Amino acid sequence: MIKELNILISGVGGQGVILMSELLGNSAVKDGVRIRGSELLGMAVRGGSVFSTIRMGSDVYGPLTPLGKCDILVGMEPSEALRNITYLSKSSLIILNTAIIVPFTVPLGQSKYPSLEVVQEKLESASGKIVKLDANQIARGTGNLLTANIVMLGALFGTELLPIKIETIKESITERFPDKLVPVNIKAFDLGYQTCQQALK
Amino acid sequence: MKKLTISSDAPGERLFMLGNEAIARGAIEAGVQLAAAYPGTPSSEILETIASVAKELDIYAEWSTNEKVAFEVALAASLCGLRAMASMKHVGVNVAHDPLMSASYIGARGGLVLLTADDPWAWSSQIEQDSRYIAEQGYLPILEPSSVEEAKNMMADAFALSEEFGHPFIVRSVTRIGHARSDVTLGEISKERRKGFFKKDRSRLVLTPAEARKDRPLMIKRFEEIGKRVNTLPYNQLKLADGAKLSVIASGLSYSYAQEAIEWLGLEDKISVLKIGTPHPLPKELVVKLLSSVPEALVVEELEPFVELHVKAIAQEANISTKIHGKDLLPVMGELSTSKVTEAIAQLTNSKLPVNFGEIEKLREETAPLLPLRPPTLCPGCPHRASLYAIKTAAKRVAKDYGKDVVPIYPGDIGCYSLGYIPPLESNDITICMGAGFGLANGFAHATDVPIIAHLGDSTFFHAGIPPLINAVYNKANITMVVLDNSATAMTGFQPHPGTGYTATGEETVQLKPEDIARACGVKFVEVIDPFDLKMATNTIEKAIRFNGPSLIVSRRLCAIIELREKRERREKVIPYHIDQDKCSEKCEACIKLLGCPAIIKEDGKTVIDSSLCTGCGLCAQICPYKAIVQE
Repeated sequence: MIKELNILISGVGGQGVILMSELLGNSAVKDGVRIRGSELLGMAVRGGSVFSTIRMGSDVYGPLTPLGKCDILVGMEPSEALRNITYLSKSSLIILNTAIIVPFTVPLGQSKYPSLEVVQEKLESASGKIVKLDANQIARGTGNLLTANIVMLGALFGTELLPIKIETIKESITERFPDKLVPVNIKAFDLGYQTCQQALK
Repeated sequence: MKKLTISSDAPGERLFMLGNEAIARGAIEAGVQLAAAYPGTPSSEILETIASVAKELDIYAEWSTNEKVAFEVALAASLCGLRAMASMKHVGVNVAHDPLMSASYIGARGGLVLLTADDPWAWSSQIEQDSRYIAEQGYLPILEPSSVEEAKNMMADAFALSEEFGHPFIVRSVTRIGHARSDVTLGEISKERRKGFFKKDRSRLVLTPAEARKDRPLMIKRFEEIGKRVNTLPYNQLKLADGAKLSVIASGLSYSYAQEAIEWLGLEDKISVLKIGTPHPLPKELVVKLLSSVPEALVVEELEPFVELHVKAIAQEANISTKIHGKDLLPVMGELSTSKVTEAIAQLTNSKLPVNFGEIEKLREETAPLLPLRPPTLCPGCPHRASLYAIKTAAKRVAKDYGKDVVPIYPGDIGCYSLGYIPPLESNDITICMGAGFGLANGFAHATDVPIIAHLGDSTFFHAGIPPLINAVYNKANITMVVLDNSATAMTGFQPHPGTGYTATGEETVQLKPEDIARACGVKFVEVIDPFDLKMATNTIEKAIRFNGPSLIVSRRLCAIIELREKRERREKVIPYHIDQDKCSEKCEACIKLLGCPAIIKEDGKTVIDSSLCTGCGLCAQICPYKAIVQE
């Protein structure tokens, strides 16, 4: 069994971050992998920042990834990825959805949204490698924008760093969605997987 | 193979669970027969989980009107010999505090467990609060799990311990237990179902002064017995390292951080560790054994220095001169983390830090100014936005007649509508606890001469809003009370309450209406409004404020999230609004500046509506001075 793999998923309420954690957790248990995690529920539903940690391996006890110890950051939204920069190290891999979600405080003039270039520059300097994809665009291509989180899940598996079998995660996806939504989600997963593999080549 | 669920009697199988599901599972394995609760993050999923399998497993589960009632319901069932529990968030325990302190005097018969969910960093609470002090005040033993799996096992054992000693037990969860996830090994589900029988024992149960004086020494004796027993409970573990110069005493979840920190620093063989699962009463013998073996100790615990102070007292009593650290090196505020504990241990052992935390802190400071603010906010289409806007518009009209510079006061309460306090609505001047919106309004009315308009939600109204309403009538407080009735306990996950007509297990029941209750309590001005009919709503609220004496408005509209869900089920289309750019004055931005709806955004300098977020509520169309907002 692996000793410690720390995954962090960050995004905005409504992006399906919690669902991704559940799918990872159920799959880990099926494949006999020890798993711990935590997330922010409650207030996060109301459009706030969402953050979920998933930790796998024999040496993992606590629910939270320590600062500087994140192996893979799955950024569902650029500024939300940047918000969690302190968890990264020079060996971290980032999978970044480049589709931005501007919070309501920006049109109200209470805050500014950073330029995508600045976000990427900052993330690049704090990590080892960054894979960028427009998961929303890819999801739209499947015919269902709501599959963007599954595209990102596919991209996460495309790193080939997870101790979970592809068949197992697909089985969990199949169990989780109503029958008619299974094919589109599997398609989204495969597209995310391929995009990540190509980017890493 | 049959799919594993929370009610599967499959000992040894592993299931991925939310901490709160694991806590529920622990109670189920122990054969709990009655569970009562009031929703509150991070505790709500416990009763939800039990309620979802209640019929199948022959358990009675209820959402009580508040935490005090929930605990009383559980206490009565325990006195009838059933295993019973109440679950609530830390501030809910304050509401249940009165019966809880008395329960300790009279004791328990069937296992009685109070689950408190503390919320360090107040992620979704008005305050941080350490329930261990409440346990101490009431001679109540408290168990504190270090992981999701242990939470399940402790919960199950707490019922047995409570029965063994005839005393109520508390289990303390925290956000990172209840809202953590983990693989958990299932235990056997107890099939025992007892028939409730109330054994009368007036000299113990009727707490008159004379009887209470007899009960108190018995309570103290029970607690002393429990104090001996905790030394051998598996949740308290002592691991001595040969020649250790430092020991770590870690309570509850903090043990998992300490364990990781010690491994991260590579000090496994150099530090003695005492894992604490019962912070009150502490396993005194183990503490003495540990302290006598090391010159220095670090107590690791979240929030207050509860264990630290008790360990210091034990050391003093036992004449041990070990230097005891704790909150001198770790924060009293917020959650602990492996990083924080690592820093503290590194300092005491002169170890090299595994990562440069100084650099990380520098990075955090550099990045912070770049980040856009993304606070939680009222959802697009939330009826509260309309109600709060109408309240303020009406109040300002009336205030003018009171005199120049008169500013109305808006006491608020606990619920989604608390989020209206930020710009642009700024609809809430004070929020402290459940029901206090109406209570504070009473005081403001007698202390000032300005319009007072208080608001709270429907679930909050039933929870703690009725006594201050009666107070306003009785003591003639000239206030306007608005019940924001969205037919849901929305903030905590849409649990049913007395106004919804359904129980926790989905049975139909009497549907109570706040307007009926207000009339019955003697409020002479009572009106029901639809907040999405903004003009009518504002005019009615204005009349209520002008009414001499207490008035009550029920602003009734279904929660936007439930409304969308139901529309989806009915296959009904949501028709969003859009902005006619020919009519819109780009610089006006009234819709953005007055309402702050997340669906109204700026795109290339133009004000537009994000049709994927718009629910078609039409509030913005009603306030647009150019009539530029129309339904598609």
